[in-house]
Amino acid sequence: MTHNHIPVQDALPEHTDKKERKLIGDRGDYFLNRIVGETEENISACYQCERCTNACPVCHYMDIKPHQVIRYIQMGWREELMHSSTIWVCLSCEMCTTYCPNEVGVAETINHLRNMAVHSSIMPKERHLAVFHQTFMEELLRYGRVNELWLMNAFNLKPKILKDKIRMGTLKEEILLGLTLLKKGRLNLLPRKSKAIKEIKKVYRMRRGDIV
Amino acid sequence: MKLSYYPGCSLEGMAGDYARSITAVFKHLGIDLIELKDWTCCGSTAAHSLSEIMSVVLPARNLAIAEELGLDIICPCAMCFNRLRFSQEMVKKKIFDIPWNVTGDIQVHDMTRFLSEPEIITRIKKQVVRPLSKLKVVCYYGCQMVRLPRIAGDIDYENPQTMDKLLEAVGAQVIDWSYKSTCCGASIGIARKDIQGSLTGRILHKARQTGANAIIVSCPLCQSNLDIIQKNISGRAMPVFYFTELLHLAFEEKSADKRFRTHFTSPVPLLREKGLLP
Ligand code: SF4
Ligand code: SF4
Repeated sequence: MTHNHIPVQDALPEHTDKKERKLIGDRGDYFLNRIVGETEENISACYQCERCTNACPVCHYMDIKPHQVIRYIQMGWREELMHSSTIWVCLSCEMCTTYCPNEVGVAETINHLRNMAVHSSIMPKERHLAVFHQTFMEELLRYGRVNELWLMNAFNLKPKILKDKIRMGTLKEEILLGLTLLKKGRLNLLPRKSKAIKEIKKVYRMRRGDIV
Repeated sequence: MKLSYYPGCSLEGMAGDYARSITAVFKHLGIDLIELKDWTCCGSTAAHSLSEIMSVVLPARNLAIAEELGLDIICPCAMCFNRLRFSQEMVKKKIFDIPWNVTGDIQVHDMTRFLSEPEIITRIKKQVVRPLSKLKVVCYYGCQMVRLPRIAGDIDYENPQTMDKLLEAVGAQVIDWSYKSTCCGASIGIARKDIQGSLTGRILHKARQTGANAIIVSCPLCQSNLDIIQKNISGRAMPVFYFTELLHLAFEEKSADKRFRTHFTSPVPLLREKGLLP
């Protein structure tokens, strides 16, 4: 029977298209185990039925579709996931998790990947979205509550945001919208501060590992 | 009856009209709302995107204040409701070290569900002085209020009925449709207008097809999203109301056209046509 045994490497087609065929992630099950451990999600239960992707309202705009995200984790392809637009485009609308027949928390898993991407050194593919979330948190930590006008101003002052907006030609529209909102009385000029802001800041610092 | 009230940041800014109509409606119903002292933001999408721990710790502080008062919380905003409920579940699981004194034992109510209890519906029916019988509406619930079923609790997540019941109680004709809980993409609007436009556009298109005069929402983000985007989309403009605005309208006889000045798509012509405003 030995002559029938073909080593796996030989069974693969030659690399004619000059693309290396990727098999399993470089550290085996390490990544899968890590995600399962951190999210307590049942990643291995996924049988690729694609119901999550079919339920997703924005899968059209994703480079790695929700069911593929789960597969990629099983394969240990961390880098691809961290570089993807999926983790930023996902709206956390929970359609995928709601309809998965195996109760895989797809949305929670994608959110966890987003958390991981934030703490990695990889530049997010959807930079504006990432910077917006960051600005929101900064505003929250400054006042305890978020004022829409101040949030948008702070966002525009972040590096490159204003320049991108001018290039895309959306700045003028945004300013006009802001003025109309002000006229209609839907914006507050001054942010309202919550008195609890000291506590919140302290907790945030503790979370980062500072000894207060 | 007394409840503690967590308004959320939007109700201090973009959704000021929602806040005002809530105060008026609860006064009519004789329910006391006690605003949580020094409440802080629930963290919204940003907190759970950047740090899962903060998304539990931030809302937990508001739960702690309510527990001290010993009153159940009521939330008008769907996002806040979702985040508070999520935090409550995590607090009960005791995975994270929470710096506040909180057990997660009080109830977090979503406003539409609380008001659509049979007992309150009877109270609402008694208050109606101006039935909205000529108005045809569709109710749009959005995603955060009904999903995840495990978090959102006791509600039909495919065909929610709470706002439908409330609008029927004040006499409006409520039309059934299938886009009640499709996401409107508001959270992505800042950076990806194309995605937001396609999602919101589809909801508006379907709402028009039903033949309704107006869309009813309960989430501040959904309201501003559906309302503001209509100035860029061709076709018949539909006013987008908070459900409490219409309850308020049905509860009081006096003129109300000033109340709607914050809307982008002015509902005044529609309400005049239906004989609801002079
Ligand atoms: S719905 Fe569940 S089982 Fe099906 S592909 Fe998605 S994650 Fe896998
Ligand atoms: S939570 Fe994200 S991945 Fe899941 S259906 Fe919604 S947008 Fe798609």
